[in-house]
Amino acid sequence: MQDYRTLKLLDHFERVFNSFGVDYKVMRKLLQVKLTMDGRRVPTIFSQNAKKENKEKNNQYIKSLWVYVLFGLFLIPFVLMGDNYLFQMSLFYGIFTFFVMTSMISDFSSVLLDIRDRNILFPKPVSRKTISTAKMVHVTIYLSFLTIALAGIPLIVGLFKNGPLFFLLAAVNIILIDLLVVGLTALIYLSILRFFDGEKLKDIINYVQIGLSLMIMVGYQLLIRSFEFIDLTVSFQPKWWQVFIFPMWYGANMEMLLKGAFEPVYLLFSALSLLIPILSIWIYMKFTGTFEQSLQKLAYQGKAKVTKQNKAGQILLNIICRSPEERAFFRFAGRMMKNERDFKLKAYPSLGFSIVIPFIFIINTLREDFAQLSDSKSYITIYFSLIIIPTIMILLKHSGKYKGAFIYRVAPLKSLKPVFSGTIKAFIIKLYLPVYFMLSALFLFLFGAGILPNLIAVFISACLYAVICFMVLKKALPFSESFDEYSQNGNSAIIFGLMLFVALLAGLHFASTFLPYGIYLYLGICSIGLVISWRLAFNVTWEKIIKG
Amino acid sequence: MEDVILEISDLRKNYGPKSVLNGVSFQVKRGEIIGYIGPNGAGKSTTVKIMLGIEDDYSGQVNIFGRDISDGDIEYKRKIGYVPEIAEVYDNLTGQEYLTFVGELYGLDSGFASDKAKSLMELFGVGEVYHSRIASYSKGMRQKLLIISSLLHNPELLFFDEPINGLDANSVMIFKEIMAQLAVQGKTIFYSSHIMDVVEKISSRIILLHDGRIAADGTFDELKQQNTEGSLEQIFNQLTGFSEHKELGARFVSVVREM
Repeated sequence: MQDYRTLKLLDHFERVFNSFGVDYKVMRKLLQVKLTMDGRRVPTIFSQNAKKENKEKNNQYIKSLWVYVLFGLFLIPFVLMGDNYLFQMSLFYGIFTFFVMTSMISDFSSVLLDIRDRNILFPKPVSRKTISTAKMVHVTIYLSFLTIALAGIPLIVGLFKNGPLFFLLAAVNIILIDLLVVGLTALIYLSILRFFDGEKLKDIINYVQIGLSLMIMVGYQLLIRSFEFIDLTVSFQPKWWQVFIFPMWYGANMEMLLKGAFEPVYLLFSALSLLIPILSIWIYMKFTGTFEQSLQKLAYQGKAKVTKQNKAGQILLNIICRSPEERAFFRFAGRMMKNERDFKLKAYPSLGFSIVIPFIFIINTLREDFAQLSDSKSYITIYFSLIIIPTIMILLKHSGKYKGAFIYRVAPLKSLKPVFSGTIKAFIIKLYLPVYFMLSALFLFLFGAGILPNLIAVFISACLYAVICFMVLKKALPFSESFDEYSQNGNSAIIFGLMLFVALLAGLHFASTFLPYGIYLYLGICSIGLVISWRLAFNVTWEKIIKG
Repeated sequence: MEDVILEISDLRKNYGPKSVLNGVSFQVKRGEIIGYIGPNGAGKSTTVKIMLGIEDDYSGQVNIFGRDISDGDIEYKRKIGYVPEIAEVYDNLTGQEYLTFVGELYGLDSGFASDKAKSLMELFGVGEVYHSRIASYSKGMRQKLLIISSLLHNPELLFFDEPINGLDANSVMIFKEIMAQLAVQGKTIFYSSHIMDVVEKISSRIILLHDGRIAADGTFDELKQQNTEGSLEQIFNQLTGFSEHKELGARFVSVVREM
């Protein structure tokens, strides 16, 4: 195992950790092992000859950071804009928090909620505090990489534009935000783990993840609303609810210290900005034992409920899936999506986003008039709900228990067609349809019944898009690969490319609305496209899967 | 030699409304090999997990090396080795890395742990995969790795939960010999398994758990005297009140034939 530079850096804080009652030496070992394993998120089955393992592969996560560097570039304008620090830096921190928090929920939740450690480490003479601190530090290490990737370049730009004090303050603020995000997430999980049990606990965790994603979105909107644009100058009106928009605390810090504007509101914000992160970390440290202990609840299945076969559902299923094999895979995939924690941890937050994003766009255009809305074509924004499709199509190939996939090869399957078509149907009906219905109901309310044909066209496009995604993506049997492979590179580029397809579909749809009866033309073309692609897409042979 | 290593009194544990252990009490003395047996779901693994601090929220007392384990001091774990029933390991690591890591957790020097693990792996016939990823191991190799990882730090007390799962007949013989030798050295072994004839041969004392209670406790000879049956398997059937295996087997096959 190689030694890591990060750990050498951490060695400087040995005393701090020890003073908290953490066995630093052991923690370092744990971290070294974790980092080594992270660096190996390569399918082990394909790299069995371990002899040439001298050069460790670079960590895949680090490789994926360039995307964040790119996002970071979008932050530069906020630094350059002017010297209304409260406004521009609040936005800066707001966007920063958005990225950090989302990645915390989707990528690091699995680290925080890992229960494997329990079985391996608890029998060993390692204190629980050390284990959970190692977990925290593990997350923090990646979070710092993410932070540097995201905020590094904008801060350096700020250093040249606004001077070293700005740079220093911004850096401290960002560290505080990181602490706050880690502390808050851990505390939220802690409280759920404390109060819920068994199956319910797992459901609640997913709801909380969706809820958090929504809150970030709403919070971001409120942040912008805090400022009024009058004649191109920005003015700030203090309101009570702004206390909860924490990026503003940090914006206030900048305004206060860089411009010497010591107003009472700023002082309050500034105090909060320091106190809350430290407090949340402190509370977490205090209850860290409880956290680890409560984690075991995740390992238990609650009392088993006998699920009744629903008659209507049965008939519907017979219509949707013709062949019995397809029905079997439809049910199987539906249950896997419903029950597998790893899958839900990764998929549900993005489902939440796909509901919110269309509205954010509508709200942004809705500055003027509510009456105008029903005449507008803003309903096209519902296409944003399609962008989750590629991500989930990729996720469907993975499972925490991927080794169970041997069953496909053992079973006497004549063709793989029902495997794939059943799974995709299950995805569309069990995951996408609820999102779609929710959005449609709200859109019908906002835009009136006249958009019904448009909404139907959107659904057909979504199905077509799912099939296109399937054709483009690398084929693998559903639930047959480890999640370790999921985080590998390559995916983000493909997903990005596939998103352009959404733009294409939305563009065609939009264009068709200018023709008389154009929407029906679009609907017809999409339907034909769907039928043809559905026929072609699933003729996948075993050879194709083995070769990849 | 008569010192008590392990003492459990009135141990109870439930998962929600379901109670797993209903007042289990026993003592284990130094050098004993305890065969801890019972039907599936009787609470064997739960008992072991409580003793190792993997499970909490129990009632009753567990003393190991004369100290109550719930006092928050984890030092007692230094002298314990454990082979879990379900083999969870960090299988992205190689055997060498994992074993060295485990050794270090018990306070061994890393170079020493690595050398020691290597010779143990070689003696157990799996030396050639020492530097391979654990994910590529066969079931038997994994099991050997787990056994070695439980012994690296020369523990006083060993918990083996189904340790011979997946081992071939020859390896089982080596393992039985290892246990006998360890007991001669004064190590205490707490062994649970479903393979009755192995338990019968190696245990110095047998504890049978049934429905979260102790149904029998004594040497094999004592059990034989109390029960009329001959082999441990038969005693097991008798004590757990099970005699319908023939009938159930026949019914099972008849259902299999339904098409």
